[in-house]
This record gives sequence, structure tokens and C-alpha cells, in this order.
Amino acid sequence: MGVEALAESLGRNILTTTLGKVVGWGRGNSVWPAQFGLACCAIEMIATATAGVDIGRFGSEAFRASPRQSDLMIVSGRVSQKMAPILRTIYDQMPEPKWVISMGACASTGGIFNNYALLQGVDKIVPVDVYIPGCPPRPEDLLNALMILQERIKAQGILPQQ
Amino acid sequence: MISEPLIVEQGVSAGDHWVTVGSGSIRDALAELKKDGFTLLVFLTCVDHLADSSRQWPARYELVYELRNLEKPEQIRVRAFIDGDPPHIDSVHDLFPPANWEERETYDMFGIIFNDHPDLSRILMPDDWVGHPLRRDYPVGGEVVEFSEEHETWQTPPEKA
Amino acid sequence: MTDTITQGVTVTKTGEKGAFGGELLTVNFGPHHPSTHGVLRLIVDLDGEQVRSLKPVIGYLHTGIEKQMEALRWQQGVTVTDRHDYLSPPINNLAYALAVEKLMGVVVPPRADALRVIMSELTRLSSHLVWMGTSGLELGAMSMLMYCFRERDTILDMNEEISGFRMHTSYIRPGGVMADATPRFLEMLDRFIHDMPGHVDEYENLLTNNPIWRSRTIGIGRLSAEDAKVLGATGPMLRGSGVAWDLRRSIPYSGYENYDFEIATSDMCDCYGRYLVRIKEMREAVKILRQALDRLPDGPVNVDDRKMLPPPREELETSMEAVIHHFKLFTEGYSVPPGDVYVAVESGRGENGCYVVSDGTHKPRRVKFRSASFVNLQALEQMSLNHMIADMVAIIGTADTVLGDCDR
Ligand code: SF4
Repeated sequence: MGVEALAESLGRNILTTTLGKVVGWGRGNSVWPAQFGLACCAIEMIATATAGVDIGRFGSEAFRASPRQSDLMIVSGRVSQKMAPILRTIYDQMPEPKWVISMGACASTGGIFNNYALLQGVDKIVPVDVYIPGCPPRPEDLLNALMILQERIKAQGILPQQ
Repeated sequence: MISEPLIVEQGVSAGDHWVTVGSGSIRDALAELKKDGFTLLVFLTCVDHLADSSRQWPARYELVYELRNLEKPEQIRVRAFIDGDPPHIDSVHDLFPPANWEERETYDMFGIIFNDHPDLSRILMPDDWVGHPLRRDYPVGGEVVEFSEEHETWQTPPEKA
Repeated sequence: MTDTITQGVTVTKTGEKGAFGGELLTVNFGPHHPSTHGVLRLIVDLDGEQVRSLKPVIGYLHTGIEKQMEALRWQQGVTVTDRHDYLSPPINNLAYALAVEKLMGVVVPPRADALRVIMSELTRLSSHLVWMGTSGLELGAMSMLMYCFRERDTILDMNEEISGFRMHTSYIRPGGVMADATPRFLEMLDRFIHDMPGHVDEYENLLTNNPIWRSRTIGIGRLSAEDAKVLGATGPMLRGSGVAWDLRRSIPYSGYENYDFEIATSDMCDCYGRYLVRIKEMREAVKILRQALDRLPDGPVNVDDRKMLPPPREELETSMEAVIHHFKLFTEGYSVPPGDVYVAVESGRGENGCYVVSDGTHKPRRVKFRSASFVNLQALEQMSLNHMIADMVAIIGTADTVLGDCDR
């Protein structure tokens, strides 16, 4: 078989790429969030999972109850001083690689509650990848954040930088 | 109704009937009301009158008990004033079971000690929290917002603001 | 007796023996648990699989709302009231607005009252829908979530139309409402009232005679009428035990006495009874909406008081006085005469009230929210004793606590 013929027959069946891209593609399209509802924003997070908005189109409909099975933590709502250590424990229990979306004004900065009881921004205790503004953000905003995160994951390759 | 000797003062505020009783006789007063059909304790709370100049207050802390008679729809508010550090008052959890948690909350937020309460521990804040957040000399807290005078004043207790 | 401190709370083990000779097992349930409806934590003593004692631990969502209200001016406080019971924002607004109005002695125009009733009933519907969707999900009826959130989204679209925001509308404010209803809103409402009874039938088809749903709720979480009254339960918890107590009827507000509706009750005293009550309440809410829409009066939607509400935009361009009022209102706000008042309204969960103390300044001295969830949650131990641990999910579900409301 000549070289040209070989190239012709294999060209349709073989795809060349880098390993990093494949891994990134796989990871990015199956981000499983931990089920972590805290306050009002959690209701909008549930709404994102229902038929009207359907987060399943992005491969993230599998909300896991156990942090061990998830790679994304959506902090949806206000984090109180009493809840903060527990949130950190859950984050520590998630396997690497893992990402965090801070959903809503409260999770990002404390929102309208600048007082003793709330943690003023969840980025004080866990690293945050994407912040969503809004009180509460619309379900579409959460999808947008997820898409931004997917782009990042795909760009990160095999070893996501921590 | 509350018998005459227990009543210190009574009146009407914005249409709500209220009675002030001595802090030592709060249990007697509430027990009498309960016998008269006021069986539901709607809520129990405390108001801190530190540096409140709207009138002469007998003491710093005002305990407020709102009772309701479910048969008639009729409501009455019972007040008691206490002072001290920490302030003490008798618990009413055995007369009105919902008071159990409400008293814990009042203890947590204002530091009022309810005598004979079965489990007087913090309920909303973590067990190792210092201070009682809803007292008026407890700062609102949070973070300083740069270039905002309003937020600066929030950091200090409301009285100095 | 051994004491251990876990996550900020002291847990005591008594070392008692269970019925089968084994030791009682202390299990920690939550605060991050998929079926506790938020961040509720329960410390449960189990004998085998049976619940022998139960201690709810709350405060994981404590937001300092009452302190925040003291730091905000009277009209700013409305935004905070939205966020404490986040499934029924306009109803919380209403409690606060009524309390402030009562202290100031103002009465809102009839059209504002009717719009308030419309928003309250829409909210009650959306709150019950969220309850039914999530409780269904927890007990294995996954499709309920999809159906219920479909209608909830219609309600949120209406919220958006009338106030510009989906959830935390801040629509009801002291002195009236934010803005008049748009013609499009009234049209949407009309269509919604027309469709909703059919949707409720749909839910009933899915659940009422569903054998799994019935076997998981009938006879579970019994709360007798006596106990419910003694424990201070309100709302569907009390009505599910056969007591016809509804604040909209007993202590009417916002003109509820003019509407014709039934109080939903059920004598079953269990989780299924509470479910029936909520279904019935949804039907009644649609009835109230229909009456309110048909009889919606004309006229202004705000009190005509320049000291309390800003002047309309047109006036600002022509009148100096209006500019001064506007400036004063937004730099220091209005002050409320000294005194205290308590106003209770019926939310989807029971009696949500607002106790307001004013010292005559432009900020409240104290605002206390009486929350139905906080009181109803105390009945949880009574309801779940001697049940299987798996039934606790149904019991927590039908108690319908909102932790934001409970912890404030
Ligand atoms: S950002 Fe707004 S909606 Fe979200 S938790 Fe905070 S208060 Fe609630």
C-alpha cells in the first residue's frame, strides 16, 4: 500500500490531538457539582436543574450529595460564621481537581449583610474560580458561569494549576 | 386577666394592649393569663434600651411576651424590665413550651439568664462565641468599606454613631 | 456520660441501652445533608433504626438580619425583610410594611391592598410549589420537581413583570407598593388563574393516590391537635392537625375579610394530612386571586404623604418643595413615632410576624421577626419519636422549615 493510500484510508478514522486537550474536553463537559444549597440562591440553583433551564445540557445535572463524588462546589448563598468551618471541611473532602463557583452577592462579598454573622466573601476560606453577581443571580447567570468555567478547565490540560 | 397587685403600668401602643409587671412576678402573671385562655405564646423577645431617650426607662432590658387567646382572637403584650450584669429573670418554658427555644435565643443574643431553664446554651451563634450580638453596645461588625462614612459608623456601637 | 464537642456544639452520650441490648447510637444528620431542607443539623439517638431522641441544631444560616435592620433606615429595611424567609419575600415585606404603617398611623389606598393580596397569594403558591417539588424529590417522586418548578417559573416571570426582579421583589413597602401593576401583568395573571387549577389536578394525579407517596406519608409524623397547640405550631402544621386557625380569617389584614375562601384543614394529623392541606390551600389561593383580579379597584397605589414616599418624577422638575422632600428622604429618611407594634401575617409556613420598636429616630430600635419555622421546628422531636430514621426525611419535608426564616 502506498503512503498516499494509507493516509487516505486512515485520515478519516484517526484524529490527532494532544492528551491535554482530550482530558480537558472530558473533564470540562462532565463537571459534577456538590449539592450544597445554603440560602435563597440555592432555590435558583435548583431552578437551574429543572426542565426550563436544564443544566443537563452542559453535563452538570448530576448533583452529588457526597463531596467525594463531585468536582465543583457551587456555594449558593450566605455563609455564616458557624457554617464556615463546615464548608471548608467539605471542600477539603472533594477530590482533586476541584473548582468553586461563588454564586450570588452574599457568597462573593457578604452582599447586603455587612455584619458580624456572615463571612464577608467565601474566598476567605476557599479559592474561588468564578464569581456570579446578583441577589439572587438568574439561572441563566449560573449557566454562563458554568460555561466560563468549562472554557478554563479545557484550557488547563492534564494538570490543572492549583 | 392579671390581678391588680401585679400590674405596674398598662396602656395601648398603636392598637396593641400591653401590661407591665414586676420582673419577679412574671411567672405568676403569665400563669394567670394562661388560665384565662391565653394559651399561645406568640413570641418572646428582649429590647435593649441603652441610651434610648424617647422616654424614661425603668431599666435597660425590656422583656416582651406576646400572648394570644386562640378562641377569641385577642392579644396581650406583657413587659418586664430588668437590669444587672448578667440580668436574670425566671424561665417560663414549662408554662409555654415554645418559650424553650425563644429563651435560648434571647440568652444568645442579649445575654439574659433565664433561671431554671433546662438547657440554656447558645442556639444561633457557635458555642464558643464571645459577646451577645443584639445588645446595643455590640458593634454591627462586618468589614470597613472604604470612602463610605455610613459604613464607618456601622463598625462602632450604635450609641456612639 | 461522655461529652464531645463537634463543630461548635456539645454532644452528650448517655451510654443508655437500647431495646435489643445494644447501645444507643448517636448519629449526626447534617448540616450538609441533601434531605434536611437547607442547613439544618440533627443529632439523633438511634436504637437500631428507630429514633429515640432528637435534637435539632440550628444557626448555620444565622445572618444577623435583626441587627442589620437596626443599622438601616426605615425604608431601607424592606430589602432585608425579603431575605429572611426566602420562599415568601412579599409576605415578609407585608408584615414589616403593616407594622411600620400601624406605628405611623397611615392607611394605604384600596388598590394597594388588593395588589398586596395578589402578591401574597402568588407567593403562597410559589412557596407551596417549591415545598412540593423538593419534598417529592426527597421521597422519590423526582418528576414533581420538574412540574412544580415549571409553574413557579411562571410566577417568577410575573414577579419580574410587576417589580423587575424574580425573587426578592421588595414590592410591598411601607406606604403602599413599589409601582402599579402593568396591563401585561394583569393579562399574565388572568392566564395563570385560568391554567393553575388544571396544574393542581396534575400534581394530584401524580401524588394523591400514588401508593409509594401514601405509604411514606400516611401515619408518619403524627401530631395531635392538642400537641400542635401546646407546641405553638402554626400554618399547615396546625391545620394539618385539624385546627381551623388561619390569620387571614381570624385576625384579617389587608382586606382579607372581603374575600371568600375556605380554611383548608385535615384531620389526618400526619404528613399526608399536611400535604392535603397545602394542595387545598393552593386551590383556595387561586380562588382568592380570581376575586382580587375581578374586583381590583382603581386609584392610587401609594399614600399621598411626601414625608414618607418620594414625590413623582414630574413634580421634581417643577417644585422646589418636592426636591427638598426628595433630598431629605434619601439622605436621612423618615422617622417613626416612638412605640411598639406587632403585626402577624399568614405565610406559607404559618404565622410570620414582625415586632417593631421605634425610639422616634430614623432607624428602628429593634425589629424582631416571629418566624413560623423556628417555632414549628420545635415540634420535630415530638413528631419523629419512635419512627424509622428514613421517615424523618418525610417529617422534615412536610414540616416545611425554611432555615433562613428559622435562623434569621
Ligand atoms: S446573594 Fe441574595 S439571594 Fe443569594 S443568598 Fe445572598 S441574600 Fe440570598
